[in-house]
Amino acid sequence: MHRKIRPFELIEPATVKEAAQLLASHGDKARVLAGGVDLVSRMMRWQIKPEYVISIRRIPGLDYIEGDGKIGLKIGAMTTLRSVELSQVIERYYAILYEAVRQIASIQVKTMSTVVGNLCVSTPASDIAPVLCVLEAKLKIEGGKEDKIVAIEDFFVDVGKTIVEPGQIVTEIQIPAVSLQTGAAFFKLKPVKASISKVNAAVMVGIKDDTCNKAKIALGSVAPKMIRAMRAEETIRGKMVDEALIIRAAEVAAEESKPITDLRSTAEYRKEMVAILVKRAIKAALERASKSEQERGKQ
Amino acid sequence: MKKELATFIVNGEQYEEAITPNMTLLELLRERLGITGTKQGCTGSGNCGACTVLVDGNPVLSCLTLAATVRGQNITTIEGLAKDNVLDPVQKAFIDYGAIQCGFCTPGMVLSARALLNRNPNPTKAEIKEALAGNLCRCTGYVKIVDAVLAAAKNSGKGG
Repeated sequence: MHRKIRPFELIEPATVKEAAQLLASHGDKARVLAGGVDLVSRMMRWQIKPEYVISIRRIPGLDYIEGDGKIGLKIGAMTTLRSVELSQVIERYYAILYEAVRQIASIQVKTMSTVVGNLCVSTPASDIAPVLCVLEAKLKIEGGKEDKIVAIEDFFVDVGKTIVEPGQIVTEIQIPAVSLQTGAAFFKLKPVKASISKVNAAVMVGIKDDTCNKAKIALGSVAPKMIRAMRAEETIRGKMVDEALIIRAAEVAAEESKPITDLRSTAEYRKEMVAILVKRAIKAALERASKSEQERGKQ
Repeated sequence: MKKELATFIVNGEQYEEAITPNMTLLELLRERLGITGTKQGCTGSGNCGACTVLVDGNPVLSCLTLAATVRGQNITTIEGLAKDNVLDPVQKAFIDYGAIQCGFCTPGMVLSARALLNRNPNPTKAEIKEALAGNLCRCTGYVKIVDAVLAAAKNSGKGG
């Protein structure tokens, strides 16, 4: 139900440092405003009633996509999903990220939402989190005792909860350079095209001499936070991957998932679909990896 | 809650308004400025797109935008598209093709279509559907809306 947003004080700091200090001094009473899609909608439902809203929208220099697939990529805290979608660098070098963003339907939501905000909301259904996980992305967190850089898989704690503490702000996503003999793919299952995922899966594989030398599998919507299917990764890593092994890895991934039943899907169905999506994603990633190896051969 | 004086630029006109931080852009437009073409649909879910306006040319949901955060930026509502009593080609095509039934989604649809055509003057049908994916219509079934945007592109390229 929609209600008038409860009163609060809007503060618009000019620097990250100032914002971090405000967040430290106001603690639980403060929230960060970036794109606002999640924050404002929850304030409207009175699900959260912050006394202070710290907007980082007017802090200069937070909206950028820098670098490319050869040197790695940096994405700023105010960079929107729409900017990622329209970035030719991302489409060319990080196709999996481009594809995940493209599948988010509403242009308006993508125009407003920031990539960092999508992560900070910490919904297990994020399509961005598993994709960034298999790309081995790291997050830069400023403020607090010292700035730090953490792997994305260590960032989420629970539904709606991350490791970010009062006084800290995520300011940047860092994605390493793309290695030539790798391929990555993302699949999601949703009730209709515009919906959020009931299950999603991202896979990154590396191939050398017909052997899988690198495997990362991340799953969304099947646990309180994004998870890595590490035993499934082990199943294919260091092996010559054939159809039977792919099916085995997909089954292992399903075993590793811990879905719940909610209004989008049942736990049983989600588990079965993990196997299907992981199977498809491994196949697609392998295909891309071998294509990338062939292209390397031509050069 | 403190009221603060803020300057808003809506359809090229400047407005000085004393607002509180909890006022959304939708509330500012409809309840304060009396610019009621922008519609209140799902309000706060980000699903329906009826409240779509352009901020610096980009389509956003005014119901999820705090007014104070867009002060000084160029806001375009449906009222700002027609120039000198001449409709925008998208508006004209919506009429010509019968792409309007109850009309409630129309302002948002037209603005999303206008944003698309400004960026891509010759979109394909698929590109139009994608651009309008964030705008729900409960009457038309979308066919005539897509046809209208195609026709507007053909007739005008970049307009508005």
